[in-house]
Amino acid sequence: MSGAKDDVILRMKDLKINIKVDEGILTVVRGVDMEIRRGETVGLVGESGCGKSLTSKAILGINDKKCKAEGQILFDAEGTGMVDLLSLKPRGKEIRAIRGKQISMIFQEPMVAFSPMYTIGNQINEATLLHITKDRKKAKEISLDVMKKVGIANAEKRYDQYPHEFSGGMLQRALIAMALVCSPKLLIADEPTTALDVTIQAQILELMKTLQKDFGMSILFITHDLGIVARMCDTVAVMYLGRIVECASAVEIYGNPMHPYTQGLLGSVHKIGTKGQKRLFSIDGTVPLALNLPKGCGFYERCSKRIDGVCNVHDPRLTDLGDGHRVACFACTGCPGKEGSVHE
Amino acid sequence: MLKYVGKRVLLFIPTLLIISVLIFFIIQLPPGDYVTSYVAAMAAEGEIFTPEQIEGLRAQFGLDDPWYVQYFNWMKGIITRGDFGYSFEYGRGVWSVIMDRLYLTLAVSFVILVFQYVVSLPIGIYCANHQYSVGDYALSFIGFIGTATPNFLLAIIIMYIIYIRTGNVYLGLFSTEMLQNGMRWEYVPEFLGRCLIPILVIGTSGTCGIIRTVRAQMLDEQARQYTLTARAKGCSEAAITYKYCLRAALNPVVSGLAGSLRTIFSGSTVSAIVMNLAIQGPVLLAALKSQDMYLAGTIVLIQAVLVLVGTLLSDIALAWLDPRIRFSERG
Repeated sequence: MSGAKDDVILRMKDLKINIKVDEGILTVVRGVDMEIRRGETVGLVGESGCGKSLTSKAILGINDKKCKAEGQILFDAEGTGMVDLLSLKPRGKEIRAIRGKQISMIFQEPMVAFSPMYTIGNQINEATLLHITKDRKKAKEISLDVMKKVGIANAEKRYDQYPHEFSGGMLQRALIAMALVCSPKLLIADEPTTALDVTIQAQILELMKTLQKDFGMSILFITHDLGIVARMCDTVAVMYLGRIVECASAVEIYGNPMHPYTQGLLGSVHKIGTKGQKRLFSIDGTVPLALNLPKGCGFYERCSKRIDGVCNVHDPRLTDLGDGHRVACFACTGCPGKEGSVHE
Repeated sequence: MLKYVGKRVLLFIPTLLIISVLIFFIIQLPPGDYVTSYVAAMAAEGEIFTPEQIEGLRAQFGLDDPWYVQYFNWMKGIITRGDFGYSFEYGRGVWSVIMDRLYLTLAVSFVILVFQYVVSLPIGIYCANHQYSVGDYALSFIGFIGTATPNFLLAIIIMYIIYIRTGNVYLGLFSTEMLQNGMRWEYVPEFLGRCLIPILVIGTSGTCGIIRTVRAQMLDEQARQYTLTARAKGCSEAAITYKYCLRAALNPVVSGLAGSLRTIFSGSTVSAIVMNLAIQGPVLLAALKSQDMYLAGTIVLIQAVLVLVGTLLSDIALAWLDPRIRFSERG
């Protein structure tokens, strides 16, 4: 899980994403720091709209033109070493050589992730033809091979079929095949099982785990489902309102959640066999709008442990508690005054 | 697929029969008939017919029979002899009147159709790819003006400008010399120049419509998830535009082709009159006005056939374009 320092293949430094809207500029991602190591699965957890999808798409530079990303995303690219992905032109050749080849992505809804106009084979081939070989025959062989690996039965026949002839689960397999066809170093999985029913979900997750071992890749797993995180991830980063509020190993997060938001999230998961508690826990209040954010901690309004005069004045930053467990909360790390804990 | 096409073609027969009855019924609906309008026209020139002469004309043209008998005779002629009836106005067979102008009409309309698509597709794609840019606004502005301006008005404006600039009036496709001496090579540039006006005038309105459609469709497609998937795969923007977006955006454009076939045949009536083009549209208008019923009926009937054929062709094209349609046809 945790290797040497140079094993880091992706490092985000103070990533910020702004979206221009009529009312002003929304800062949707407000300074994310994160590291992904070789072979590691990092879970990025948070509720809808907290900026986790934007963060992941920023890695590939495929966010909408309206989104402006700042900061650094360093990636250990093959051949060139560490490059700042944000410094590459979003439509340029360099980033396109990385997309699909070294970093690839699978999406939430497989049903709309394929163009209905072309066969599955055609669309899986595309990445191979772009990045590996120009030989169509070879590309087909590679595609068929991967299709078999992801468990698509009768791959030769399926290769020539159109997306509407596939079931949702099969399409997700095909989408995974398409993402893996060039053996990427990093796979970004943006809620890959949300649109699938539970039994298929389990199959797909098992498949991803197996493939990760075979291909030796890292996975950035974006989800709001804590059950999936527990099952899949080595490290978990909890995101709230465009920031990572807590980051630790999966075992730590589940055994020893520190941030009130993480505690709330875990408390609102239904566990089979729990007695006594009749109602599920829910976090009070709603997420504030990312426009004209109040000073201080973004979770202040909803927090049960808030310290008046501190949390609504100062902005907490991720602070290492010593064992790799990092949290951004004054209630956990002590009040500001200590060096490095306050950013204001 | 063949079976499907065969079925559709067989369906043409009852459809056309119903349409032809309707056409005939509607054309003879206005009070009076060709003889009435002929007598009125002659009276205006000072020639007065006696009631006996008028009756004689009626009997000669078979206009005394009730309309369904006339319809039946007309249909019988078409089916058994390929005879589309007699044009009172021209004093000869309807078919030969139509053939007079057929080639020119087809040529002009076809060039206009090609012009429309060649111009509008790239502009539509450009506007979508550069949404809200200066170029997009400028082209959209021109597009709206083009859609909103009636063709005949545009024709008059262009002819006026040409007259002011050159002192020549370019009416029709052929100059007087061309008509007198027949076509010669030295006339070709002028002929092409004369063609340009109707192409611009009749072409623009359709062009603007297609630009708007293509632009809106392309924008829709660009927002789709699969566009993002393609981008995440490392596809170039050109591949995304042409392979993914344009292919899907073409659906409504292809459906629109169905109506174009009819327009190709008859051309644009009002603009053709303004520009003095010898194409089919003005003939139809004149035939309707003078109640030259067989001529009018035949032209409208041919238009109906072309609409049917056009619809079939565009359905086939759609099935070829979009695999989802292709497969649902089998079921």
